[in-house]
Amino acid sequence: MNTKIIRTLVKKEMLDVFRDKKTMIMMVLVPVILYPLIFVGAMQFMSFISSSMETQNYRIAVDAKDGDAFIHKLTEQPAGEERSRKETEIITIVDAAAVPDYETALNEESIDVYVSGQLREGKMQYDVYYLSSVTNSAYAANIVMEAFDELKEEMTRQKIQEAGMDLHEILEPIAYEKKDTASNEQSLGSIMGSILPFMLIISLLMGTMYPAIDTTAGERERGTLETILTLPVTNRQLIVSKFITVALIGMISALLNILSMGGIALYMYAIMDMQTDMGTFDMGKFAPAVLVCMLSVFAFSLFISAVTMCVTSFAKSYKEANNYITPLMLVVMFIGYIGFIPNLELTQSMAMMPVANICLLIKNMLAFKVDYAAIAVVLISNVAYAVIAILFLSKIYDSEAILFSEQKGSLQLFEKRSNLQKGGVPTAADVWFVAALTILLILYAGSLLQVKFGLAGVFGTQLILLLVPLALVIYTKRDIRQTYGFARTKVSAFIGGVFMITGFFPINIVLASGLMKLFPASTDNVETAFAGIMGDNICAALLVIALAPAVCEEMLFRGMILHSLKARYRAVSAIAITSVLFGFYHMSLVKFVPTGLLGLVLCYVVWRTGSIYPAMLMHFLNNAYSVMVSYYPEQVGRVLPMLCQETLSFSDGMILCGAGLILLGIGGGIFFRGRRPASADSV
Amino acid sequence: MITAEHLVKTFTRNEKKNRKTEINAVDDISLTVREGEIVGILGPNGAGKTTMLRMMSKLMKPTGGQVSIRIGKTEISDEIEVKRHIGYLSNNTKLYGRLSARELLQMLGTIYGMTQEDTERKIDQISNILSMESFIDNRIEKLSTGQTQRASIARCLIHDPQVYIFDEPTLGLDIISSAAIIEFMKGERERGKTVLYSTHYMEEAEYLCDRIVMIHQGKIISEGTPAALKAQTGQGSLRDIFSGLIQEGRRNEY
Repeated sequence: MNTKIIRTLVKKEMLDVFRDKKTMIMMVLVPVILYPLIFVGAMQFMSFISSSMETQNYRIAVDAKDGDAFIHKLTEQPAGEERSRKETEIITIVDAAAVPDYETALNEESIDVYVSGQLREGKMQYDVYYLSSVTNSAYAANIVMEAFDELKEEMTRQKIQEAGMDLHEILEPIAYEKKDTASNEQSLGSIMGSILPFMLIISLLMGTMYPAIDTTAGERERGTLETILTLPVTNRQLIVSKFITVALIGMISALLNILSMGGIALYMYAIMDMQTDMGTFDMGKFAPAVLVCMLSVFAFSLFISAVTMCVTSFAKSYKEANNYITPLMLVVMFIGYIGFIPNLELTQSMAMMPVANICLLIKNMLAFKVDYAAIAVVLISNVAYAVIAILFLSKIYDSEAILFSEQKGSLQLFEKRSNLQKGGVPTAADVWFVAALTILLILYAGSLLQVKFGLAGVFGTQLILLLVPLALVIYTKRDIRQTYGFARTKVSAFIGGVFMITGFFPINIVLASGLMKLFPASTDNVETAFAGIMGDNICAALLVIALAPAVCEEMLFRGMILHSLKARYRAVSAIAITSVLFGFYHMSLVKFVPTGLLGLVLCYVVWRTGSIYPAMLMHFLNNAYSVMVSYYPEQVGRVLPMLCQETLSFSDGMILCGAGLILLGIGGGIFFRGRRPASADSV
Repeated sequence: MITAEHLVKTFTRNEKKNRKTEINAVDDISLTVREGEIVGILGPNGAGKTTMLRMMSKLMKPTGGQVSIRIGKTEISDEIEVKRHIGYLSNNTKLYGRLSARELLQMLGTIYGMTQEDTERKIDQISNILSMESFIDNRIEKLSTGQTQRASIARCLIHDPQVYIFDEPTLGLDIISSAAIIEFMKGERERGKTVLYSTHYMEEAEYLCDRIVMIHQGKIISEGTPAALKAQTGQGSLRDIFSGLIQEGRRNEY
């Protein structure tokens, strides 16, 4: 690759971005000037408020016969530093006789605390009534409690002295003290470990966001994209140079942020050090952490630049790009909070998780826990994700449909209904909308239904799945037959389908048990939830767990979603997206792969036959098999013992897989008999 | 010389009815423009002019057919190599507003693989020809429309291309600015360059072009020198020839 061209392009992009006011505001003004100003301003404001606090008058009603000693204690002027009460706080004793009903008085805030004292079993029992929801009342209650504490201590001392005993010996028979063995560096590290990762991630995100928009969507909006395409520059050179620019600016911005924050921290330290002795820090101990932080900033800036650019590349304008990037920002910020969760360690699987891995790595380094393998995994995975995103980006820049902005299928749902034309399948936008809506409904309404009504609730969930999309199809006047693939097909497709699913079922069991070994924790709740829902009635279970999904889920996924996406994307993409959605909709890490695979098989069958009916039959059988296995474990176990064991041995797994593959082969043979691959409708 | 052989570009669009329709924006167009020749492409909006010119300048990949250029005796069809010898200008080729014209030209020189001295010499020469001295160091976003158009031409000139492809270069310009562009194209023809350009202005095409290609719905419907076209159709002006041909085409459709 010609580095001279890339260098020139980077130089141009940098000049272009640096001369943009928006970038400069985000990059320099905000971290370097605004942060310290806000911080110093906030500190001054706080001290202003605390010093000029208004005189607070706490009204306390006391209803007690021998309350004089207590009232005296309460109204006595604060003595020395021991009392937390300030001089601006005034206690007014209200006559209890004037308060007929303390609850009303507290609610009306005519008094802050009501104290009632009664002689019970030979000693005074005081009840302190207050309203925790009213700040003054809660505060006054504390003052009252403090006064009681003092009073109690005073009386104790008096009694001990009256009895002629040694005050010190009685009150303090043993001595104890808490001692922190953490070094100053460790304490500092643990504080920084929760804040610093979040700060770094946010500043990198903010820093890359605007250059990413500017070099992609901004370029299209200003109309310079076509100009740059006339140059003898390959797509890859173009993207790499844009990527380098965005990543570099992200790094500069992060650096400025760190310096600015560091400055603020030093300022704070200086102020605190003047007031209290903080001890000294050996900054040298932080050298490895700082080094790893730098590397992390580098790796993460590559990652986040590539991801933001992927998102913004789809946008035609600055405004549109901003809309696209907001959800990404929220997700990244949300994951960034992971550093604040105590006790969360960087595990093997966590080390692969973008954003979270950087957070935890920095946190660990600052806690002086060094794990070289983890460092390597985190850094390499970030770079790898960046490379994948860049490859994806070059696909986008290869696509003329995106570059020369062709119109996308728009959301028809909000069009005037009389303007909608009859027939056809829903647009992709409509499908996304419905998929999102349905999944949300399932998540909220569905869970509620299942918790309340068990099996009937599951049936209700399935109905949601069927009716919500159907309503859209009818409302937008789509062709139901075409949308759902209600078409006749050969008998061989059904017979082949039966064999295929019968072969697929054991293979999927083996797969699922393998996955359960990988993620053992997440299986328990799924299993118990499932067992709780299934009642004793096998007919009902078959109806709800096998038949209903076979109709409802098929109509949504293999029907509407697959057919609509197929009209817009290539068949491979349509099938892949539908299967992923199907896997995702089951909302379980363990179930994702098996259900996704099931979806894939069913999608394929629908695509080849053009009819949804064989897929419905197959889906029914697949679910019916599971119901059978869980209802008649003994009977099934007698015939096929390996299906009902808690854990699957390797050899049993292989046998199941082999049998499954044979059945799949037979099914495929029947399925394709008299049906040459070319005869399927080509897309 | 630039040659297009059986160029086809198919767009897949989702029509209102949501049925996928394939449209041949360019439908089997073959065309050769020689050295020292100006060829004008005429056609109504949506005829496929822009798509065709984008393919000929290798911005778009054709669905079928191919584009190549010949310099001396070497034939070049590689995308990047062809781009090296083409100066392409359209209404969509805007310039980087935050750079000055000089900075832009310097950057382009490096990308086209020119040495620094060559680039500087060329910039001086161009700014002299196009009288850009007064504004060459200003940011492009601060320039007037005419100055911007001159900077755009300068962009096409920096690498001294053999072939110019201009997509409606005079659209929306005042008389003086468009006259400057027309004179520029004439000048380049004298220097033996190949010029292919599209326009809506019939009179301009008649005055400037050696050959005129009329396209409608992605197909060439007529081709020849302005004089030959007039003789062939018996019409007095290109405007009449053009509307006549398109009406004839409509009649044949129904």
